[in-house]
Amino acid sequence: MMKETHSFQYDALVIGGGIAGLQSALDLADQGFKVAVVEKDATIGGTMIRLSKVFPTLDCASCITTPKMAAASHNDNIDLFTYCQVNSLTRSDGTLKASITQKPRYVDPDKCIGCRQCEYQCPVYVKDEEQGGFSLRKAVYIPFSNAIPQLALIDVQHCSLCGMCAKVCPTEAIDYFQQPEQFVIEAKTAILATGFKLTPIDQKKEYGAGQVANVISSLQMERLLAPHGPYQRVIRPSDGKEPDSIAYVQCAGSRDLSLGVPYCSRVCCMYAIKQAMLLSGALPLADITIYYMDIRAFGKGYEQFFQNAKAMGIEFVKAKVGKIEQGENQNVLLRIEEQEGDGRVVRREHDLVVLSLGMVPDWNPAGICPVTTDTDAFIKCVQPKLAPTLTEMEGVFVAGVAAGPKDIVDTIAEAGAAAMEASNYLNTLSSGQAA
Amino acid sequence: MGKPDKEAMKALRQQRKAYIDRAKQEIKKQRKLIKAIKGQIREEAKTVPRIAAATKLPSDQVLLFIAAMRKYGQVIEVDKDGDYFTYKLSAEA
Repeated sequence: MMKETHSFQYDALVIGGGIAGLQSALDLADQGFKVAVVEKDATIGGTMIRLSKVFPTLDCASCITTPKMAAASHNDNIDLFTYCQVNSLTRSDGTLKASITQKPRYVDPDKCIGCRQCEYQCPVYVKDEEQGGFSLRKAVYIPFSNAIPQLALIDVQHCSLCGMCAKVCPTEAIDYFQQPEQFVIEAKTAILATGFKLTPIDQKKEYGAGQVANVISSLQMERLLAPHGPYQRVIRPSDGKEPDSIAYVQCAGSRDLSLGVPYCSRVCCMYAIKQAMLLSGALPLADITIYYMDIRAFGKGYEQFFQNAKAMGIEFVKAKVGKIEQGENQNVLLRIEEQEGDGRVVRREHDLVVLSLGMVPDWNPAGICPVTTDTDAFIKCVQPKLAPTLTEMEGVFVAGVAAGPKDIVDTIAEAGAAAMEASNYLNTLSSGQAA
Repeated sequence: MGKPDKEAMKALRQQRKAYIDRAKQEIKKQRKLIKAIKGQIREEAKTVPRIAAATKLPSDQVLLFIAAMRKYGQVIEVDKDGDYFTYKLSAEA
């Protein structure tokens, strides 16, 4: 049985420990405010720490995110609450109160030293979603090598309770009896930085409903391209073949009324071009094709990036992919309708196909806090032009993709803006000018 | 946590029986599969399709376990054979 045992007081609460949440937290902490960051996963870092490189600079994503994660973790003004669920966020008597559930790791966080002895000895292999499902982890595991905090957790749904982890743990950190704990965070202001997830890969039956081998999502390709990826090189997941021909299908989850995602996800063109360029480096002899409706290269340096990709020999085909089927030898057959020339329907075969899936929100505030969502299901901004981080709830701001699809550059800029709004709000409160 | 109480562990096992039974089944299947893969690459480095053909296992399953065994230090990548890389058991395995 859970009971409310603790209550913590902070100036600011940040919900979400991805790049937006971390940037907001760091900006507030640097101004001397005490900040709590609540993250649903067992590690901070969000989607960005799972990427290979970023566009248009081709900087290593981990090299940018890891220092932010470490800075947040070591900042005296920031406390990280990972593997936590926000049950409610309400305002009473001028204070925001968040009811939080700490999910059990079945590992004592004060004792675990992250040595991974438990993980090496555990006999159960489980599909590793951190590696796009292309590798396996154990039932007791640390999410990835640069996870923060470096704490193991047990996936009880796959644990045989064999006792091996407890036997080998040098600090007696395993606690099979751990229970969920409920606590309250009180803060004067909050920032919602809850990020996004991709539209499901099996959503569209015309694209094989997730059943065609070697059709993967763009985030799965990020793992294939990452230095610490599942194979440490790009090979196709069905049989380990080094692909000679790779295709990208753009707008595979966006701008599609049939999927309920009529909007443009804004980053798919650029991440597809980025991945195509990285693939050209990793597999210099491979043919890379991008099937697109139109290329949206709107940011600083993006158009040049697109032109560079064309100059590198990446083939851009203006076409709509109508159908994806399994071909021979585990290849993928695409039925495409060309949108240039005579508009004919042609079939093309590739070794590996990447669906540029769209972005949808990863969190719905309904029933948790009185913040509403827009028609696109992302958090509604009340002054989208003049103050895009303001929500309908006083003292609660929004940052990053929680408010709508955007790239990392815009996410970080908006996270800074949200922190500034929160800082102003806190200063107004302390000077007694709040309404 | 010190050594868990025997009665409490018994109760916990009862509570998680469905998960435990499923995990035990998985362990059995996985051990058989890993043994079959190890048997193929103990002496000679082989590609995933060759291992799959010899063990009659689906090639995606073979690659999944090869990736996991590499991660935990049991398998190493050796050379390339056509479009495929070859894998062998590591000295530690």
